[in-house]
Amino acid sequence: MATVLATEHPEDTAYGQVGDATVPLRFSSLAEEYRVLRNRAAVLDLGGHGLIQITGADGVDFAQRVLARDVEYLTSDRCMMSLVLDESGQVVDQVLAFGREDGLLLESSCGAGTRLLEHLLARVADDDVQITDRSGDLTVIGLEGPYAWGVVGRLIDAELASLPFESVVDTAWDDVEIVFARTGLTGEYGYQMIVPIESAAALWRRSLEHAQAAGVEALELAMLEVRQPIPRHEVTPGASVIEIGANWLVDITKDDFVGKDAVVEAFEAGGGRRTVGFTGCPGVPALGTRVQAAGQDIGEVVYAVHSVGLDATLGLARVTEDLAAAGLELTVGGLPVTTLTSPYVVPKSWSIPII
Amino acid sequence: MALRPVVVTGLGIICAAGRDPAEFWRRLTAGQGGLTPIEDEAFAVFTARYAGQVPDAWIDDQLPQEDRGRDRTARLALVAARQAVGQAGLVSRDPGTDPGRPDPGRLGIILGKCQATPDAAGRYQPMHRTADVVADRLGLLGPRILVSTACAAGGNAVGLARDKILTGEADAVLAGGVDPLLFGTYAGFAGLQALSTGPCRPYSSSDGLNLGEGAAFLLLEPLDLALARGATPLAEVAGYGLSADAYHATAPDPTGRGGASAVRRALADAGLTSADVHYVSGHGTGTPANDTMEAKVMRLVFGERAGRVPTSSIKSFVGHTLGAAGAVEAVASVLALQHGVAPPTIGFEDEPAAADLDFVPNAARPMTIDTVVSNNYAFGGNNVSLVLTRPRGPRPYDGLPHRAAVITGLGPVTGVGAGIAEVAEAVATGLQEPGRPPSLDGRTYAPRSLWRHMNHLSRMAIAASRLAWEDAGLKLPRKALDEVGLVFATAAGSAESTGGFDESIALNPNKPAVLSFSNVVLNATGGAVCQTLGLRGPTTTICNGGASASIALDCALEMIRAGKAEVVLVVAADETTAPAPASDPPVPYGESTAAPVPGSAAVAFVVESAEHCAGRAGRAYATVTGTAHTTGTGTEAVLRELPVSGAGPAELVIGAGTGGPEDGQEAAAVLGCAPGALLTASAGLTGDCQAATGAMNLLLAALALREQIAPALTGLTAPRAGTLGSYVTKPDLPAPVRRALALTAAHGSVRGAVLLEAV
Repeated sequence: MATVLATEHPEDTAYGQVGDATVPLRFSSLAEEYRVLRNRAAVLDLGGHGLIQITGADGVDFAQRVLARDVEYLTSDRCMMSLVLDESGQVVDQVLAFGREDGLLLESSCGAGTRLLEHLLARVADDDVQITDRSGDLTVIGLEGPYAWGVVGRLIDAELASLPFESVVDTAWDDVEIVFARTGLTGEYGYQMIVPIESAAALWRRSLEHAQAAGVEALELAMLEVRQPIPRHEVTPGASVIEIGANWLVDITKDDFVGKDAVVEAFEAGGGRRTVGFTGCPGVPALGTRVQAAGQDIGEVVYAVHSVGLDATLGLARVTEDLAAAGLELTVGGLPVTTLTSPYVVPKSWSIPII
Repeated sequence: MALRPVVVTGLGIICAAGRDPAEFWRRLTAGQGGLTPIEDEAFAVFTARYAGQVPDAWIDDQLPQEDRGRDRTARLALVAARQAVGQAGLVSRDPGTDPGRPDPGRLGIILGKCQATPDAAGRYQPMHRTADVVADRLGLLGPRILVSTACAAGGNAVGLARDKILTGEADAVLAGGVDPLLFGTYAGFAGLQALSTGPCRPYSSSDGLNLGEGAAFLLLEPLDLALARGATPLAEVAGYGLSADAYHATAPDPTGRGGASAVRRALADAGLTSADVHYVSGHGTGTPANDTMEAKVMRLVFGERAGRVPTSSIKSFVGHTLGAAGAVEAVASVLALQHGVAPPTIGFEDEPAAADLDFVPNAARPMTIDTVVSNNYAFGGNNVSLVLTRPRGPRPYDGLPHRAAVITGLGPVTGVGAGIAEVAEAVATGLQEPGRPPSLDGRTYAPRSLWRHMNHLSRMAIAASRLAWEDAGLKLPRKALDEVGLVFATAAGSAESTGGFDESIALNPNKPAVLSFSNVVLNATGGAVCQTLGLRGPTTTICNGGASASIALDCALEMIRAGKAEVVLVVAADETTAPAPASDPPVPYGESTAAPVPGSAAVAFVVESAEHCAGRAGRAYATVTGTAHTTGTGTEAVLRELPVSGAGPAELVIGAGTGGPEDGQEAAAVLGCAPGALLTASAGLTGDCQAATGAMNLLLAALALREQIAPALTGLTAPRAGTLGSYVTKPDLPAPVRRALALTAAHGSVRGAVLLEAV
């Protein structure tokens, strides 16, 4: 399904199917959109992210059970990223959970809304929990870039620009009630606005007066460069949370959550593989390309692209635990690569204060 | 509604930029700062060496011989206090020789202090001791409060002093702040990388702060009384505002929301708007986090006018005097109003941090100043803003309205249980666990990401707050939480963090335990509660030993009366590091050999306007019928001060007895003043938990009104006063209780009494 903003996008926009969503991959060129995101401010059509509301007297308890991080006291001015796991510890999705007055609002990763909704509905017992798909009446617009804070100031309110990370404010834009959050996916200053679909086009157009649009390709490249997990690329069948490198998106100190036993078992068992970044080989290796160290097969490529920031191949390899370290010389499909420590590109925002 | 005008009639100050107000002002206007390298070799371990130090001679030359042996905190405070009282014309201690002088019982002192400071022998003294010394030396027997909202305490004290005049409890209040330069604090700030290696340069280089020391006081009194006794009003304290960032232990909310909220509340309190403000005395520490945040406060509050409202930092002259800072800056603000001159920010470089604002660089500026806003921002996310104006003439005014307040939620965290159900069960079954630390196992009270960084005191206080909140059945939306007040009461703050920090300094001053340091300030726990529960209303911290909780309740009632909050959470917490003794439990009021047992506890209660409670169909435990506090004169006086309920006398008294010899006097006073009432205490249940014991007494009084139970004095066979029949010896009360009295005590300082009535 196309995003609600599709009618706003230029005719030559390149779309792609990601899960259940048809999303704008590129509006112009990847390189140009990437540079906007890394150097100025990009506006993002995040309409491919599903929005699911959890309410009811037992809603928070339910969310606490299905989310891998601690959301028991997630107040309506905070949001946090969390994994959603199945009983075997496999990643179902990676969500942004917004605390709300009457429960929580979950934002799925790109194209994963339907799968997430089905997963949640299947786990509602007889409790007083209502799961509502809000994707039909709300959509998400993102701002990302070292000067995205300036756009926030011009667009809504300068006070919101310096909100602490993962803070949420219910505010108004042009008399429309929106949920505004300081988020960030690429290491740059990042914000998200959850807006009623009937007002989305107007907000998108106004945003374009202060920033340039960037598509999913540029966004995901910039995410990879700072090792922000992208589940649809990194979650491979059978891989544990630890192998994926998403430990920080679970909290095993919680009493219980769906998938906890499997995660704890994997923690305690040790071993397995780990994910590490690499660069170096000419061309972009195909997924599954074998990775070798000193002639020994140690794993495979799970995701690789051409990084505009590095002007080189950048990929993630899932390899034997003791070789998942930075600075090693390995081969990918027989070609030499060097493993990296993240971030692979230092975001400009880290040296630019909000004023 | 126009409230009674409150004016400043006396100023006192001693700091690095002057030994009295005249010298201080001369140097401020001449741009002559007082920041110098510390010569004490002990400080040679630090790279940063500049500070705002007060020469010993400046202090001792102004003190009578008998005060020169006192600790430095007291000496600094006495110098500034005497100056303020002297300028106001209230010098004499003997009302008989000065008929114009108010009754000593109506002269109060409210002192702001950030640090726990050493006595003359170098040992920590109770937080309130300096206020006791000044009150004793100057004959101030009225309201006495020690406020410790870290670096906002001095300004906070001035605001609370105005409250005490508006409630009619005092005819004059000496309000101010004091803090000396302490090695440990210096090491803590050095550890946070917050010190500038040279003289600080607020609002331009912003490369760190300099610590300073000093004391400052303002004598506040109602305009009508000041004029009647021929005093000269120097300025009006038109209003003040408090707020909580609910963001971080040490860093300010980067949006400036918390600071802006304090300013807006202060202007509303004063009946003014931002358009009325001519000059802003900034907090201006010189740290990047503060200076950046403050620029945002200016833009948020003043909008397009921000660049046309001069703001400067006199910390560039005196350093950061912590608990004194707000008072030092309030004194400068009064002088700025008097002289029509804005003091500059000195050391200002050409490249300001915010080019759109006017920081009065390097040279004082003569200008029209009718209204000054003076701001302070503190660790724990506490913000205060004062609005001072040029004095106006006498005018009609309204009294502070009387608004009924009720207690709607109880949250005890004690050795006998957590939550009111467990404690009620313990009371009913006669369980006693004095000295046993509370257990917080079995449920969570805060997000784990916050909880794991909290010390034990904060965890207890958060748990108590959460339990009280849940017990009250309050479900407030985010916007309403922005207006919920929080008053924290503690005698000594976190023993764990203070001990851990001191140990780290003793081992290596350059490797302080910075997490502990951020929790050494007494208001840290109140800040943690605000952060966890998301409360951003007015907030303060009271440190008057065992009397802290009832004074905190007073503050909550004042917030409700003034319309500054409809709901206020009062939380009291203290802890001991001593293990629970194996000996017999203490027997309050008994001629027993068992000694008082120190304990750890946190007790919270929700105070709500009766109107708000009724509006949400809440169920109250009790109405707060009256409160009273007296200083240094025993329990009888405080009982006499208490308003009498028209419905009849109290049938139950939860006393402050802990099992010590002071119990006899209290019991005798209660039996004399409240004949027929049954007396008991909480110390047998939990031990002496200082501020939390006072709150526990309030909680047990409220519980008794609803459940008709009270803790039995198990083991009481030979009372120090009266007969056994005057005491609670069985949990089930023999006759219905409709009115219950709770007592609090900081021995040798302040006693409190609170009368609760069944709803």
